[in-house]
Amino acid sequence: MFDDIADPDDDSVATMEGISKLCDHLGIDPLEDVKILVLLHKLQASSKPAQITREEWMNGCHNLGTDSINAFKALLPSLELGFMERAEFRDFFKFCFKFNLEGTHKTLDKELVVALVELTLNDRIAKDRLATFQEFLNITKDTSYNTITLDQWMSFLDFSLECPDLSQYDEEISAWPVLIDDYVDYSNGMKM
Amino acid sequence: MSDDKNLSHIITFEEGWGKQIKPGAVDVLEEILDNGFNNKEGKFFSNKSYIEVYTKCYDMCTQRAPYNHSRELYQKHGEIIRIYLQTKVLPAIQEKGIQGGKPLLVELQFRWNNHTIMNKWYAKFFTYLDRFYVKHHSLPSLIQAGLTSFKDNIYQQIKVGAKDAILKLIDQERDGEIIDKTLIKNTVELYEQMGMGGLDTYIEDLESKLLESTREYYAKKREEWITTDSTPEYLIKAEKVLKEESNRVKEYLNTATESKLLKVVEEEILEKVEPALLEKEGSGCKVLLANDKSEDLQRMFRLFSRLDNGLPPMASIVQEFISSMGHEILNQRQARLDSGEKDSNDDPQFVKALLALHEKYLGVITTDFSGHSEFHKALKDAFDDFVNKDIGNYTNAEFLSTFCDRVLKSGGEKLSEAEVEDNLEKVVQIFSYLTEKDRFAEIYRNQLAKRLLNQRSASDDLEKAMIAKLKMQCGTQFTAKLEGMLNDLAVGSDQKTEFETRMREHDTKMDFGVQVLTAGFWPTYPTPEVVIPTDMTQCLDIFSGWHSNKHQQRKLKWVYSLGNATVKAQFGKKTYDLQVSTLQAVALNALNSGTSMTFTELKKVLNLQDEILKPLMHSLSCCKYKVVSKTPSSKKILPTDSFIANSKFSCNMRKIRIPMASLEASHNSKLVEEDRTNAIEASIVRIMKARKTLAHVQLQAEVLSQLAFFKPNPRVIKKRIENLIERDYLERSADNPNVYNYLA
Repeated sequence: MFDDIADPDDDSVATMEGISKLCDHLGIDPLEDVKILVLLHKLQASSKPAQITREEWMNGCHNLGTDSINAFKALLPSLELGFMERAEFRDFFKFCFKFNLEGTHKTLDKELVVALVELTLNDRIAKDRLATFQEFLNITKDTSYNTITLDQWMSFLDFSLECPDLSQYDEEISAWPVLIDDYVDYSNGMKM
Repeated sequence: MSDDKNLSHIITFEEGWGKQIKPGAVDVLEEILDNGFNNKEGKFFSNKSYIEVYTKCYDMCTQRAPYNHSRELYQKHGEIIRIYLQTKVLPAIQEKGIQGGKPLLVELQFRWNNHTIMNKWYAKFFTYLDRFYVKHHSLPSLIQAGLTSFKDNIYQQIKVGAKDAILKLIDQERDGEIIDKTLIKNTVELYEQMGMGGLDTYIEDLESKLLESTREYYAKKREEWITTDSTPEYLIKAEKVLKEESNRVKEYLNTATESKLLKVVEEEILEKVEPALLEKEGSGCKVLLANDKSEDLQRMFRLFSRLDNGLPPMASIVQEFISSMGHEILNQRQARLDSGEKDSNDDPQFVKALLALHEKYLGVITTDFSGHSEFHKALKDAFDDFVNKDIGNYTNAEFLSTFCDRVLKSGGEKLSEAEVEDNLEKVVQIFSYLTEKDRFAEIYRNQLAKRLLNQRSASDDLEKAMIAKLKMQCGTQFTAKLEGMLNDLAVGSDQKTEFETRMREHDTKMDFGVQVLTAGFWPTYPTPEVVIPTDMTQCLDIFSGWHSNKHQQRKLKWVYSLGNATVKAQFGKKTYDLQVSTLQAVALNALNSGTSMTFTELKKVLNLQDEILKPLMHSLSCCKYKVVSKTPSSKKILPTDSFIANSKFSCNMRKIRIPMASLEASHNSKLVEEDRTNAIEASIVRIMKARKTLAHVQLQAEVLSQLAFFKPNPRVIKKRIENLIERDYLERSADNPNVYNYLA
């Protein structure tokens, strides 16, 4: 199975092209459907971004018990985000960030982040929280937010789950990244 | 006495008492006390009669039982006293003192004196009882018994009346009348004596009542005065009252009463109206400060110092006042800017106003408030508040530094050395209130460099003195660079002669000197790689050779944007000495041949950027001394302009200085921000390394306490923490996102 998606120049890895091919086989749209990411996470494709090694593939398939495309297809429904426990989702969320890094970069572009949170957080956090956050990122003129760090990425998730009520937010004592402080200012400003 | 006494006459009690003691002692005594002396000498008892009675008593007490009459004698002693007091003394007192007041006290004094005499005589007569009987049966001594009798029979009956009389007299004295102080003093002694060795009786029966009536008296006075008197008037009265009460105690009360009495007076007269006094319209503390009422302020301080919490409210008003004066200075600056005055980094009027304000109120605190720390704190808090408010485009840190520059550079303000140092001392005092001390340091460093490199410093000693003052305030690290700069110049002048000797060994066409700057200490200057003529490079190479021989590890980099030269120029028949910068000299040399060169050509030949070449050529061709002619002769330098040595140049003076806008050292602000970022990060890492794990709020607090020379916004600190997380120095704790862990 791996040979089918392996990279023509280096058959020990499958890059985005190959992964895209896999999506075709499975009948899912990689841009719209988060399941491919979930699958890659479950296969533990964590060594480098945007790829999965043959070894990871073999081990992963073995663990999941998938020996054919049909087996994968059968697995698809279980890849819904709603099934994940909080801890597992957190790991997945971290994986999403890391998997989408480009080359040696350690941060993600703002635009990609806006798209990724849509994909991953859609049913996991309050809809208005997600929407205002995306809005905030799009609107902000602060150039330091053109790229987002892993700390900021993870903090947004933790923050959204821990602090559903923004009226209680106290910037003086908060250890959340400044991005969150700015976001809260923006969000409260809108409500005024 | 010997035994054979018993063989002779036994004295019965009736005999001894009835025949000898009573008529010979008791009756005589009572008679004299009641009616005065009836003999010429005024003596109570002659020696003979005294010894007779004494001996009788002695005999009666030493007879063997059952003829030992000690017990009866002792009882009789108590009885005669009691009866006398009850039948003679008390009625007399009650009669004479029926209206109370002074007559009561006079009679009481008389009777008390009498009792003292009586008590003393009886004790003398019956001494023998005291020696054995009293001791053996643990009974009160004769004197003690006498006193107790007086207390029980007289004192308890009249103590209230006497107390009322005393208090009334005291109030009269307070109202200004003359009273008999001795009378009161004697009566007070009675109360003291009635305590039988302790002061409890005095305290309970007299002192406590005195305190109550004092309180009432002064409460009334306070109500009267507070409405009619201004604060200074009131305070004068209060001070007078306290002095009077203190004297009162000394004159006729027990010393233990002083502190309690004064405390009551202070409470009623001062404590209860302190706010009203401080804030009185037209005469309160603020008004006194505004009108420099030194004496009144001193008095106010003296009086409120007596209270437990008297000074803080006063200091608070002082702080507010100084703060408002400071804000007024800020407003004046704002007003000048609003009315069109140009904003620059030099505002001596503003700085002098701040210095004057500080000096004035420092003086007020020393003179009027005895230098009390509460007021020093008020001064500090007031200055902390407004010194850090910047008006206009420049910071107060910059104004202070520029003021120092004015005062330290030659040709600046005309002041004596002592005056300069005094000014510097005062500036450092204001400096101590700045939050952004690091900004001051950076600006000061740049200005110092300018002074030193352009030889515009008036006095090396004064420069050192200022740095020493800053060092005392902020520590060695703060002034390290400044000291380094001065040191470079000192070392340079030491080595100058050595190098000059070396220079003379070579045949150079010019005199040449070098100033070596240690890179870390001085501001960063542009180092254009301009093309230097060979005559000059020869000198540079000699120096480089000599220097690297002396200091092998050091690397030299020539800063052509600094330095100056004297160029001997001949225009026509006249020669001139042109004082120019290094770059100007190089440019003049390029045009020395007399041929014309365009801007672009010069740029190529000299290898200089536009930002440097333009002002350079401008200074030589468009200013006062046009040693170079420019075509076209406009004021702007364009790449198409051409330049040629001005053969027609002429001037009256022989020595001409051609100034050029000195190239700016690297911008202050950026450096300050960079240093701050580093300082915050270093602090975070230091703290986390020691603590290993720490909550956000604590980390923030510790960082702020470690940073001495500026106060960053909490957000700035947070951003640094995030940055350190990105760089894997720290991580957020998995259990609690509010806690950080140090990553080794």
